[in-house]
Amino acid sequence: MQRLLYGFRQALQAPSRNPRTAVALGRLLGAAFIICFLTGIYSHFIQDPLPGMQFLTRPVWLYQFTQGVHITTGILCFPLLFAKLYSIFPLLFQTPPIKGFLHLLERASIAIFVASSLVEIATGLLNTYQWYALFGFSFRRTHFALAFIIIGSLAIHIAVKLPIITKYWRKSTSYDDDGNLVPLPEEPDKNSRLPLPDVGIGITSRVFAWIDKAPPPKSPRLSRRGFFATVGVAVLGVVGLTVGQSFRPLDVLNVFGPRKAGVGPDTLPVNRTAAAAKVLESATASDWTLTVSSSELSRSFTRAELEDMTQYQVDLPIACVEGWSQMAHWKGVRLSELVDSVRGSKNASVRATSLEQNSIYAVTELEPNFVRDDLTLIALEVDGKVLDINHGYPARLIAPARPGVLQTKWLSKLETF
Amino acid sequence: MAIRRIRIALVLFGLAFLGLGAYVAWIWLSHKQYARVIEWLIGALIVHDGIIAPAVFLVTLLGRRLGARVPAVVIALVEGALAVGGIFTLLFLPEVLKKLIGTASSSILPQNYALHLGVFYVVLGLLTAAAILFYVRVFVRRQNLREPADQA
Repeated sequence: MQRLLYGFRQALQAPSRNPRTAVALGRLLGAAFIICFLTGIYSHFIQDPLPGMQFLTRPVWLYQFTQGVHITTGILCFPLLFAKLYSIFPLLFQTPPIKGFLHLLERASIAIFVASSLVEIATGLLNTYQWYALFGFSFRRTHFALAFIIIGSLAIHIAVKLPIITKYWRKSTSYDDDGNLVPLPEEPDKNSRLPLPDVGIGITSRVFAWIDKAPPPKSPRLSRRGFFATVGVAVLGVVGLTVGQSFRPLDVLNVFGPRKAGVGPDTLPVNRTAAAAKVLESATASDWTLTVSSSELSRSFTRAELEDMTQYQVDLPIACVEGWSQMAHWKGVRLSELVDSVRGSKNASVRATSLEQNSIYAVTELEPNFVRDDLTLIALEVDGKVLDINHGYPARLIAPARPGVLQTKWLSKLETF
Repeated sequence: MAIRRIRIALVLFGLAFLGLGAYVAWIWLSHKQYARVIEWLIGALIVHDGIIAPAVFLVTLLGRRLGARVPAVVIALVEGALAVGGIFTLLFLPEVLKKLIGTASSSILPQNYALHLGVFYVVLGLLTAAAILFYVRVFVRRQNLREPADQA
């Protein structure tokens, strides 16, 4: 078995598969994971804040930016993670497989890291395709929990590999003048003393002999440059051809993004339709009113009454947790003026309730800084037209720097608390 | 000594985060969901270590065997194109399939991804072929011209 593993390891050797390559890729992948983690944590807590948490309302594109970065960096992780796994693949066949308890922990932490990373980015991507049926678990909760497991196992992995990381951090000290890797002096490869499997014993030996006859790459530099060029092309390709869903200037290149700017009712994408939310009847009912209440007073507004109030116009993005976003021009009533009309406190938060049933986003809350922001509207129109029913007709919330799922559509009630 | 302290701190930080992640999953997910997540984790390792990695190994092995007859740059270009094409397939074939199955709204997966993926493969193939032709015509010819001159 030891010879077999050694044979595999030898067969997998390539100039691009070395500790320096793994460190160079690991730096990029580590940075990408940390960016995803931080932007993901921001998105999580802005949706479910802990007591005392407050979030910024400026810049208005803050959430659009953080979530666009989150999704784009997540997509970027695919080629980086595959390249990293490629660079360390021979280690899968190290002999002996387990050298002791600490080595077992090290390999276990790597297995957890690899598995959780692959599941995190794969389910994250499938979530943007809204292919929930494949999961069998709550995506949001699992995504959140796995993020901590990834960062935890990454920290342990860095701790274990720290001597190698420091040794091969710089390219200039990693290779000799001929472009060959400078080996770690303190850890000679014990496997090098093992003989190759003998030819003629069995099929395995014959295969290894066939592999061994193949010439090694003539130039290690060429092999490494080819490898990094491939990684670079893959990264540029997957990012360049999707990032337009988050960053409008690159929309022309967006041919693989799950959303396309300008595609949807009134040229604005929609995630949850009125039909899916089962509000087609209630939202178009002639007796619809918006109830606004505080501890002192409660009033109901018809749509005509809302239209008779002072109308304000703002430019704010719809920014989805799935990474896509689009700027739009909104017209409606300031939330703060509605709150004032029922003598709501200046420091009050607001609970917004939708006509939508059976959705975790049917009721959302706004902290006082969002309530009092002049840009926070109860929108009646978008881009010069009456709201399409799929965009929240007869009235919806629109506020700066908030996730799309919290921009409650098909409003029925606003309560201060 | 400083390195040792950093390593201990990283391990403690890592264990804390691992514990937090496992705890959050435990309290938030039902036993059935928890089991399903573990299935996904094991499945991910099987798919990577059992299918993707051996496939990549076979391709690189074939490239190495061809090394005696084909210039290394040509092999690197073909392998690179296969890797890029493979990554695009892994990322965007599910998008093609989900669009075929159907979506909840016309603005979800609104593009013709099957066509785009097909066009991408053709463009990738053409660019790879062009790069190989360019290399063979310019560098190999230059090398052939240099060799007789060297012999003279």
